[in-house]
Amino acid sequence: MDKDLPINARRDFVKKMAAASLSAASTSIPLASFLSSCTSDPAITSKADTIILLWMAGGMAHTETFDPKAYVPYSKGVESKRVLSTFPKVPTIVDGLHFSQGLESIGNVMDKGAIIRSYKSADLGHILHTRHQYHWHTCYEPPQSVQAPHLGAWIAKELGPVNPVIPPFIAMGQRFTVGEAEELKAFHSAGFLGSEYGPFLIPDPSTGLDSVRPPQGMSLKRFEARYKLYKELANKSKIMEGGSDYQRESLMRSMEQSYRLLNSPEAKVFDLGQEPKEVYNTYNTGRFGLGCLLAKRLAMNGGRFISVSTEYEPFLGWDTHENGHIRAAKMKALIDRPIAQLIKDLDESGHLDRTLIILASEFSRDAIMEGRPGEPVQDQVDQPDIIEDEKFYGMHRHFTDGSSILMWGGGIKKGLVYGKTADERPCSSIENPVVIDQVHQSIYHALGMHPETNYTIEGRPFYTTPDGQGKPILDLFGEKLVS
Amino acid sequence: MVLDNKRGVYQGGKSGPIIVAGRPEESEMFLRVSLPPDHDDVMPKKGKVLKDSEIRLIELWIKNGAKWSDGALKIFPEAELALSQPELPKDSKESHPVDKIMDSYFKEKKLKWPEVVDDRTFIRRAYLDILGLLPEPLKIDQFVTDRDKEKRARLIDELLGDTHNYTQHWLSFWNDILRNDYSGPGFITGGRKQITDWLYKSLLENKPYNVMVKELINPTEASEGFIKGIKWRGLVNASQRTEMQAAQNIGQSLMGVNVKCASCHNSFVSNLTLEQSYGFASIFADSLMELNRCDMPIGKMAEVNFLYPELGSVEAESVKERLLLLSEVMVKPENGRLYRTITNRFWKRLMGRGIVEPVDEMDNEPWNADLLDWLAADFVHSGLDIKQLLKTIMTSKSYQLETTRLENQEELQKGYVFDGPILRRLSAEQFSDAVSQIVAPMYYAAAYDPSNEDLPFKRIWHREIKFDRDVLPEPGKRYFRNSFNLDDKKIRAAKALISVDHSYTLYLNGKKISEGTDWRKVDRLEVADKLVQGKNLLAIEGQNEGAIANPAGILFAMKIQYEDGTQLMVTSNDKWKSTDKLPEAGWTGTKFDDDSWQGVRNYGSSNWDKLVNFTFEGPIREFARASLVKQHPFMKVMGRPTRENVATTRDEQATLLQALELTNGEYFNGVLREGATEWLKKYGASHEDMVLNLYQRTLGRNPTEKERGIMLGVLQTDEKEEALQDLFWSMFISPEFQFIY
Repeated sequence: MDKDLPINARRDFVKKMAAASLSAASTSIPLASFLSSCTSDPAITSKADTIILLWMAGGMAHTETFDPKAYVPYSKGVESKRVLSTFPKVPTIVDGLHFSQGLESIGNVMDKGAIIRSYKSADLGHILHTRHQYHWHTCYEPPQSVQAPHLGAWIAKELGPVNPVIPPFIAMGQRFTVGEAEELKAFHSAGFLGSEYGPFLIPDPSTGLDSVRPPQGMSLKRFEARYKLYKELANKSKIMEGGSDYQRESLMRSMEQSYRLLNSPEAKVFDLGQEPKEVYNTYNTGRFGLGCLLAKRLAMNGGRFISVSTEYEPFLGWDTHENGHIRAAKMKALIDRPIAQLIKDLDESGHLDRTLIILASEFSRDAIMEGRPGEPVQDQVDQPDIIEDEKFYGMHRHFTDGSSILMWGGGIKKGLVYGKTADERPCSSIENPVVIDQVHQSIYHALGMHPETNYTIEGRPFYTTPDGQGKPILDLFGEKLVS
Repeated sequence: MVLDNKRGVYQGGKSGPIIVAGRPEESEMFLRVSLPPDHDDVMPKKGKVLKDSEIRLIELWIKNGAKWSDGALKIFPEAELALSQPELPKDSKESHPVDKIMDSYFKEKKLKWPEVVDDRTFIRRAYLDILGLLPEPLKIDQFVTDRDKEKRARLIDELLGDTHNYTQHWLSFWNDILRNDYSGPGFITGGRKQITDWLYKSLLENKPYNVMVKELINPTEASEGFIKGIKWRGLVNASQRTEMQAAQNIGQSLMGVNVKCASCHNSFVSNLTLEQSYGFASIFADSLMELNRCDMPIGKMAEVNFLYPELGSVEAESVKERLLLLSEVMVKPENGRLYRTITNRFWKRLMGRGIVEPVDEMDNEPWNADLLDWLAADFVHSGLDIKQLLKTIMTSKSYQLETTRLENQEELQKGYVFDGPILRRLSAEQFSDAVSQIVAPMYYAAAYDPSNEDLPFKRIWHREIKFDRDVLPEPGKRYFRNSFNLDDKKIRAAKALISVDHSYTLYLNGKKISEGTDWRKVDRLEVADKLVQGKNLLAIEGQNEGAIANPAGILFAMKIQYEDGTQLMVTSNDKWKSTDKLPEAGWTGTKFDDDSWQGVRNYGSSNWDKLVNFTFEGPIREFARASLVKQHPFMKVMGRPTRENVATTRDEQATLLQALELTNGEYFNGVLREGATEWLKKYGASHEDMVLNLYQRTLGRNPTEKERGIMLGVLQTDEKEEALQDLFWSMFISPEFQFIY
């Protein structure tokens, strides 16, 4: 056997053998146990308990943010093909590491984290943001024959809450009334794992408290009395006679859990009003900034998986189809201060050690190239060869061959720069390319989750990453790279 | 070295054979895979080492002679395709065929028949199962006091005859199975199509099941959405091409066979091969399909075939011809599997557990094969009359037994023994409709409206722009104007309908005529006496609430009927004008100059469903049935699936997110508040009436003395509305309400 046997050939082989011997041998070993892939490897030590995903929705250009290239200032008549970056570079606290202007605060906390500069998005053809976002968050390309769970749902299912009264999967900042809303809903979901593990949605972090306290206008006294009334009536009902019943009991148990959560002191974790004014103001660059503030409070009090999104709305946010330069400046102003503050605050309180923070986007942007080299896809933006109007100055096309992912805490090596993109167009990943399976496996690795975590749906195992493939990037954690 | 065919396996590697039949300890294959994972010679070299169980299997196989199973991939049990046409037991005293079969089942299991439920429990169960609604108290009383021995069968007939309500309940069941929904991924780029209109009409006229299947497989424009699948923009995995989706969905929904696993590689949950699923998918493809294993082409072209070739050939030149052939082959009476699959689904829906489980794996052993095949065969003999099948099950004593209590979920799995129906949770739709029936509408608007009165109005609001793009409007006040001219004719009647998201004040010719704060409701106005000949002016001050930009819009229609029989319609449309600046006094009158105002924007209909009461005709409906409503966060959390994939079983397990939604969800609590106000208006004078009504309408029974005492005690307060809301809440949360006993 001098060749690696692909997973499916192996499965077929095992099946053939089973056909010949098992059925005859009238063994009681269930067949599925040979054909699926449950493992009994020893547990991995975890490095993090909490994940914060800072989601740059809409396609953040790496060349305008964390991987700047040659700066070409605007002048009327400049050629599009010359424009690699529309901002000058600025140094960061890490020697030799430069960011794009406007990200100085984040640059200042890079001694606490790492940057991956070689993320390659999937090639999904004609680009649709939400499809790439679905892929990033579930690790599967839509559509799938079953509903794939969000990364946060896997984590919620496998690890449960850190603090039992804080929902283990919280998603902040995204409304579902915008364009492509249905496509957004498709991955903000626990899929076949069941709604129990689905996201607890907080579109507006400043009203987060409303989701975890008694209904508006209801006093605590009334809230307690109402629950007692229900319990008393339910217990007196004749259906309670005659033995136990698991369905009824699980219903009553869930009501009790919810009552406890809504009546618990932890609810104030969701209350941004508890923060000192100056802290609140530091974070408050808008909804995203306040999301970072709430993420900090949740991480300090036992959140498990928390995402904060800059919000996706077609053609808004990072999705710059025109005025790319001006809008990138605005987006940087939105994220720079609160993210840096989040890292600092968690570091100072000691929580950064056990909190893994990830900043990522579904893909990058470029002034010229749509898609990636060699895989042409349909252009979605008209970009003139010669820029006569400033609104054409910026990164307006969707680029899938290189983008940046930042990570802090949770055992991540400090000050590390991993991978590289070309300095000339196309600014593709040219060293240590990273794909989504590896990103997910690295996150699971940090949490101590088994790389082959899976769930049997419709009779077959469905893995956290397709076929259980993809390896964590151990270099990020400062461990010896295993080839 | 090759291991996926016989020759390769026996030939071995470079150094010769690797298997010594009967002697694992001398077989290179066994020895190498058994080495420790870090050993230099361990096999496989790359990828994962084998699991212990796999190594044991190899050992066992070699010991047993290392025989290769030629063509025998059929290692999983398969159900007979044809129905067995079982004869009914002759020695039973039971009169109903289902009960005759169950009588011998109970005898064989040495079980006694469980008790039959009382009339109150039965009528609630029957209503919920046929109409998805709760019976009114008066109806319950009449039924309970009715002395007719055949009253249960009569009730079932009567309910099955309530065609619209029957359709609006069962629509959800079919939507789940046929992956049909009003919103969801795919619609945005035209990659998906509804079959709602076709489905609604099919259920309304009780179309025979074989006709439905034929129309799904060889579709008209109205039913093609099912096999068309969901197409996302861009490239998709080979196993998710729409042709493959068609094969997978027909397999799962209609035939109870898992094609999904075999559309990527040979299945390891059934005997299906990659060739078979590609052959099946090729029926729907207009060009040759190349087989892909795990998304990699393997250089082999698919040959058109159906999974069950014994039913007949589906080979033909064009897709159109093949679909016709497939539709005919599928519905043949010999294809018992088609009829068994749907019969089993109905049994599960009515009894809580299928005769075969999971319901999509119809090769599994039924707990009573005679029962399943008798029901399916009877269904075929009845002309595939779906209502008749429901009636057959529901008139049996077996359906009318008390629900069984289960200590844990495992009792439903392997070794399950029937001991009466399983306790079922109200579905998201049943729960919502019951709340609508009892306290106040959960939903005012439907995504699909069977009445379909098309009024030419648009949902308008002030146009808001950011970076040259139309965006959702910011919260705040906006002002709107529209003028129209009336002929010099006598007006007989003039009615206006208005609904504004979120709130509004309406002026006609400078006078305030209406205001509203609930965007879900329709206000109906008589305006004949406020109109003048010549120029008239409508003005609206609208308010968008909330903290961040969100949908807002005005819906307005006015119908003016003249004495001479002609009529004029004035509606909200893009000719209206608006501003976001507070206008000067007089802006509601005809004389005001609105030249500086801009044209409004039509915000379309994607954010709002059709208000069922936004109509000049017909009876005013009280609420929109939940099955017709677009997926909504409340229903989603209560278990209504997102129908991106076929969903044949709903999770009935209570969850924390559900409990949170019920406990502090603004939506549900808002409905309770609205209901309390209404109830106080209606029964305010008598606490007794309120308590009695609440019990009768939610639980279908009178309160016990104790329950009555507790409730009356709660109402002894000055805060009556709040007290009543809390009573509602306690009732809706209770297990007695949430389960079908």
